[in-house]
Amino acid sequence: MPERGSARVVTDAGFVNLRGNAEDAEFMHRAARVLDQPLPAEPNTISIAGHRVYWLGPDEWLIRCAAGQAAGVVAALEDALAGLHVAVNDVSGGNVAIDLAGAAVRDLLARGSTLDFHPRAFRPGDCAQTGLAKAGVLVGQLTDAPTFELVVRRSFADYVLRWLRHSGSGLGIEFA
Amino acid sequence: MADQRFRLPEGGRIDRSKPIRFRFNGRAFEGYAGDTLASALLANGVGVVGRSFKLRRPRGIVGAGAEEPNAIFDIGRGSAARPNQRATQAELYEGLVARSTKGWPSPGFDVGAINDRLSRLLGAGFYYKTFMRPKSFWRLYERFIRASAGFGRVPAGPDPDRYEHVNAHCDVLVAGGGPAGLMAALAAARAGARVVLADDQSEFGGRLLAAAETIDHRPAADWVTATVEELAGHADVRLLPRSTVFGYFDHNFLGIAERCNDHLPASARSGPRERLWRIRAREVVLAQGAFERPLVFCNNDRPGVMLASAVSTYVRRYGVCPGSRAVVFTNNDSAYQTAIDLRKAGATVVLVDSRAGGARLAADAASEVGIPILQGHVVSDVDGTDHVTVAHIAQWDGDPGKTVTSTISIDCDLVAVSGGWSPAVHLHSQSGGRNAWDEREHCFVPGEPAQASIAAGSGNGKWSLAECLEDGLTAGREAAQRAGFDAGHVTVPAAGDTFCGGTEPLWRVPAAQEPERCPKQFVDFQNDTSVADIRLAVREGYLNVEHVKRYTALGFGTDQGKLGNINGMAILAECRDEPIPAVGTTTFRPAYTPVSFGVGAGANVGELFDPVRKTAIHEAHEAAGAPMEVVGQWHRPWYFPRSAEDLHAAVARECRAVRNSVGVMDASTLGKIDARGPDVVEFLERIYTHDVGKMAVGRCAYGILLGEDGMLMDDGVMARVGEQRFYLTTTTGGAAAVLAWLEKWLQTEWPGLEVYLTSLTDHYSTIAVAGPDSRKVLENIGCSIDLGRDAFPFMTVREAELGGVAVQLFRVSFSGELAFEINVASQHARAMWDTVMKAGSEFGITPYGTETMHVLRAEKGFVIVGQETDGSVTPVDLGMNWLLSKNKDFLGKRSLARADCRREDRKQLVGLLSVDGQTVLPEGAQLVSDPGAGIPVPMCGHVTSSYMSACLGHPIALALVEGGRGRRDETLHCMLRDGTAVPVRVAAPVFYDPKGERQNA
Repeated sequence: MPERGSARVVTDAGFVNLRGNAEDAEFMHRAARVLDQPLPAEPNTISIAGHRVYWLGPDEWLIRCAAGQAAGVVAALEDALAGLHVAVNDVSGGNVAIDLAGAAVRDLLARGSTLDFHPRAFRPGDCAQTGLAKAGVLVGQLTDAPTFELVVRRSFADYVLRWLRHSGSGLGIEFA
Repeated sequence: MADQRFRLPEGGRIDRSKPIRFRFNGRAFEGYAGDTLASALLANGVGVVGRSFKLRRPRGIVGAGAEEPNAIFDIGRGSAARPNQRATQAELYEGLVARSTKGWPSPGFDVGAINDRLSRLLGAGFYYKTFMRPKSFWRLYERFIRASAGFGRVPAGPDPDRYEHVNAHCDVLVAGGGPAGLMAALAAARAGARVVLADDQSEFGGRLLAAAETIDHRPAADWVTATVEELAGHADVRLLPRSTVFGYFDHNFLGIAERCNDHLPASARSGPRERLWRIRAREVVLAQGAFERPLVFCNNDRPGVMLASAVSTYVRRYGVCPGSRAVVFTNNDSAYQTAIDLRKAGATVVLVDSRAGGARLAADAASEVGIPILQGHVVSDVDGTDHVTVAHIAQWDGDPGKTVTSTISIDCDLVAVSGGWSPAVHLHSQSGGRNAWDEREHCFVPGEPAQASIAAGSGNGKWSLAECLEDGLTAGREAAQRAGFDAGHVTVPAAGDTFCGGTEPLWRVPAAQEPERCPKQFVDFQNDTSVADIRLAVREGYLNVEHVKRYTALGFGTDQGKLGNINGMAILAECRDEPIPAVGTTTFRPAYTPVSFGVGAGANVGELFDPVRKTAIHEAHEAAGAPMEVVGQWHRPWYFPRSAEDLHAAVARECRAVRNSVGVMDASTLGKIDARGPDVVEFLERIYTHDVGKMAVGRCAYGILLGEDGMLMDDGVMARVGEQRFYLTTTTGGAAAVLAWLEKWLQTEWPGLEVYLTSLTDHYSTIAVAGPDSRKVLENIGCSIDLGRDAFPFMTVREAELGGVAVQLFRVSFSGELAFEINVASQHARAMWDTVMKAGSEFGITPYGTETMHVLRAEKGFVIVGQETDGSVTPVDLGMNWLLSKNKDFLGKRSLARADCRREDRKQLVGLLSVDGQTVLPEGAQLVSDPGAGIPVPMCGHVTSSYMSACLGHPIALALVEGGRGRRDETLHCMLRDGTAVPVRVAAPVFYDPKGERQNA
């Protein structure tokens, strides 16, 4: 069977958790300037540019940055946001990213999540915090291809990977 | 091998070029590809397929679908075998093995058949009346009743198959792929809607697969093929054959069980055996069809008495003629088609029509092929035990209260019956919809929908093919429109005539005597419920339909009354002298047909049963051979055995290492929360009981959280890491609950407080280095700060670099020893663990697990939430008054002032020492003051923690004892399971280093 999808674990992804007041234009402005991209204000969306900034809540974002960048992002944000009521935390140790690509990925996600991943319902730039099998995950669609990113708490990563392998085995999903 | 002597020379949707061998009750048979197990057995003339549940009467195949009550088999071999499968829905495959679920030693000869002779004693409620006394004998009775109540055998081994769950969303779900369902799906698909079409058969088409009618002047099956082809071409249409919509739940959520593998020989099976589709549908079209009702006459359960529509199905779809001398007995027009089908298949046929006026159009067609018709007659009784041999026919004037006298007897080997039709209202009812009684058609039809659903076709009381197609089209179009799509262009094809309708009620057929005196007239075949049983139930005062069901077992069993329930309810209505709608139906509950446990479990078995949370250091523990203890979902190392050590030896060694040199533990599972903001002190003052504001930056404190009821909820060390920034820890099991609790107060009660919380549980791993040599281990690694007791005192926190890696260091101790906890980002945790192990090797650093942690903390009298507490324990009970600030308010404080919380005799934390200095008390054991007291012995407390303390050389225990603090040195008794009382002395709860000098070292 031709490969219908692939999964790859990114072990060294950087993650920064940011909390701040989205109603505060000054905060939004300063954060956007230092990140060089806006914080998404629309619920369950991702700002995709240099980093991927996931909307987690009305006052919470997760910044997914490249390996080794998290400390720099934390420092830059703390510096730029000094004096505002914010919380910037490096949570790189707490999360594992899993890249998913290919047509079969929607079928794979449907085996564990109750959300609708049909192209009419879930588009590039959409994200959601949901259950995948019995673990909580953050899932975002990055491109039309489709490609998705799954963000999993480190302690659940082993379980989620076992589940992905089990559920993906009948769907032609290759694991890197 | 038996021949297929009932197979017709041609016709049907079977492939005669593909013979298939199978075994039934040990005998070899042959059928064809396209057969069901039932059609293949009929082709081979197998009449008796099982025994009835109670009376052990021989039973044959009655139906051709989900309604089948008798042909219930165990199918398959070994652990993969399936109990209680309907042969009418089991597709034949090479090598299939089936066994009757009832009948011992065989269905042909069953020793339990003696019950039939005793049947007058075994009326409704027999078990309730007989086995109630003496009460103590029930356990004995139960053993025999269960053994004789033979339904299928569950395989003993674990299920070797895999199953999976899939969530799906659609605009229109169509349940049932007959004429109405196919039309509905077509209309919705052409409108552009996302459609799921599910049908429980191997092919779509429903009754069209056996239909005599034409569509667009061609065989109906051709239209089915073309329609399915078009549907399959729509990208957003999902076709699910072999899929039963078994449950309709709230918010248009439906469950579908898809059988992926059960039609294949074992060697051809791959992937999941079954798939559970969890469907969220905007709109649902219910097109499940209708069930034909049997007629209720004497001995109507004899093998060879079958539903007329089933007979047509076997003749037309499977090329099997189940008899050569047939009597067709009906109260409506549809069975005329069966008579014609049988006649064309070469059987002799007599039509018995209970209606004085008979049929109109259908009668001409039947007469044309030479079928004699007896109008105004009934079959009142049949002869034959293992197979029907004679039908006794009587004239009847239509008065249901009368008895009749049989005047004609016809030799026959098949009695095809039709008592009218009942729409399958199951899913509509499950969805919350009521059913309405249709006075004209004499059946319940779906009433107003309770959810977004539309009933269509014969499931909606439409009998003719033309009406079904029209109804399906309308439903599909409306569903698509309601889901926001413009209706597609679909027209109704031209349908040929259908013989249908004209039903005149005949709920029980009159016999020569009253039901109590004549041979049994069966209403429910699976449970041997007869007309007399229902009448007895009513005489004994069971009037409500639900009571009658439970008293007579009407509608219990794997068929859930699909065949007999409506007849039974009508007979109940007659007894109560009320109209049928006043009696109503019993509740239709999911599942529509039985669903396997496997498909319910899906992939959630074995290692995927529950998530296993692992720390970043987990692999090191596994490599060290540590057995794991499950704590919440975490797997934590329990102890680290060396060679042949058992738990006790390993724990004793680990405890001594911590007390005498140094040990190391993975404490990463602790909940960790970053809390910060201008109002963080105010917030934490309200949450925690101690004076948070008095903590200097860099200080740690032990904090507890109470529920609003004043009971201890969680505990943990907190550290003030900045003026407006705290680092909180929680118990392993309480991490998520505490974060949710804090967020709840912030978001819903105190939104004015400016505080942000961030979970760091997974980000940080925590390595606890404990013991007199712990400082030396850290110094060996190389630390950027002075670790001396004055520079870095007990209960403080520092940022540092340890071996060049940024860490948070805490001088906290859960063992009572000098100890450091290292917080390191999890991606560096494994390396840090290895570094610590290496640096500690010269001190014999000993990794220890949760068991040693428990012993060490118990020696110090430190409580564990959930072990010393159970949601009913206040901090005062635990002797923690020192933690309760008098300077402020905090959650739960008021509750502590309640009279009940201030009782002197509340259970309070104490230590216990076995008087013999040897017995380790069982945790959970009850404590009594006087073991000689009369029963019930008053209990005064219970053991919460108990261990052998290697360091102290004797067992220790913690306990909650009524008024315990005032009972120091009193002797109580700990009750063991065997009734022995172990004398114990009440002691202080701190056994080791009561002054706490060691941790300050």
